[in-house]
Amino acid sequence: MRAGLYRYITMRLSNVSFRYRRRDQSVIRDVNSQVSPGDVIELSGVNGAGKSTLLRLLAGLISPTTGTITGRPAVVGLAPDRFPIEQPFTVAGYLDHMARARGGARWQPWAERLTMNHLLDVRLGELSKGSAHKVGLAQALMAEPGLLLLDEPFAGLDADTRDALPPIVADLSARGVVVVASDHQGGLGVLPSVRHWSLRDGVLRETAQAAPALPESVTVEVTLPAGEVTTFVQRMRAEGYAARELTEESR
Amino acid sequence: MIALAAFRVAAYVRSHRVYQALLMILALLAIVHGSRAPRGLEVPALTDSAALIIPFLAWAARSLLDTEPDRQRELSATIAGGRRRELAAGLLAALAVCVTFDALALAWGVLLGVSATPQGAELAAVLALHVLAVLAGLALGALTSRAILPSPAVSIMALLGGFLVMLLVSASPLHWLSVPVTAWMRAASAGLLADRLPALGAASLAWCLIGLAAYAWLRRTRP
Repeated sequence: MRAGLYRYITMRLSNVSFRYRRRDQSVIRDVNSQVSPGDVIELSGVNGAGKSTLLRLLAGLISPTTGTITGRPAVVGLAPDRFPIEQPFTVAGYLDHMARARGGARWQPWAERLTMNHLLDVRLGELSKGSAHKVGLAQALMAEPGLLLLDEPFAGLDADTRDALPPIVADLSARGVVVVASDHQGGLGVLPSVRHWSLRDGVLRETAQAAPALPESVTVEVTLPAGEVTTFVQRMRAEGYAARELTEESR
Repeated sequence: MIALAAFRVAAYVRSHRVYQALLMILALLAIVHGSRAPRGLEVPALTDSAALIIPFLAWAARSLLDTEPDRQRELSATIAGGRRRELAAGLLAALAVCVTFDALALAWGVLLGVSATPQGAELAAVLALHVLAVLAGLALGALTSRAILPSPAVSIMALLGGFLVMLLVSASPLHWLSVPVTAWMRAASAGLLADRLPALGAASLAWCLIGLAAYAWLRRTRP
């Protein structure tokens, strides 16, 4: 969990569409957006709206049928909505293997932060849904990803871990990690600056931020050298302000 | 990639699926090498084992690739840094298992199945055929794995049918249209294996590489 490891690159989705088979309708249609380092995005939509498909596109697991995704960070962490427990390992054994595959990553700090140390000797097949979910989170977090994709991250978690997750996301965001979470439960709503993506019929819309109810909040303009924008935005976010870099489209 | 391949081999062994292929291969070897081949028939005996072990190696490769749940395969791709690396790690793990099983078959054949060990060009030809058997089993197993054929029934029929087609086509004059395993055995029986190996080996290698390339191509849309 070292700071300052991430390369700050803007990730762009340009006219991204996806369909599973040639004659199928597109699950994702003509998505255009950009994601800056440190962005936290809450992705909502009804069941079957294409949220998991969009996450898989962002992860690079599937390629867009049309359009492009550029600027994807080299290290991607993906926590699935249903962790695959049908594997013949204990939790610690599984995480050891994943750590070696990640080039020697350390999972132990994350196991402690996710309060799962008591599960380490349990076989994966014996885990409850919430406990299995923690293993999925730990394997995604251990690699210090530049892009963290969380599919229903709060599903089945105990109260302590539910409370622990938003600060973890805030820490990562402050260090420049892009976090995209598909979430029905609005669990990241407690964070000060969260972008909201809504998927409906395959069309992505960015809805207005559900900004925290700050008394008499105002928007200020700051002039600073171009090279310091990313650092400045991250510092403001770390201090709890809803800071965001303006894009060409939003100017 | 090596670590991910080791993870998959570990899962294959710890899930005990390894014993399915191992027991069948031991049964095959007990039948093929049930009695020592007399002097002069060493090469045909070892060639037969190379040809007949192919479906069992394919079964082992398919079983290894199918041990990993589909969702874990996606996680492995993000962990490895891309789908290509995940694919390569899976093939590497399956190759390691096939090489191990084939080494067992070859060792059994040399130690218990023949009266004298072949020498020189004949030994090289037998070794080459076992390498080709490993590649053929790997390709057939990969092409019938769950990522390509999700239905277990279709998959196992494709595996057995694929080997039968291989046998039938290679028994015909158009043997170069498949991995020519029957032609391997005929050449060995006629004592011409070393002479015909370049042509038979080239056709065999080409079909194995085509099979592996087809697997990689199909996996583009089947993560």
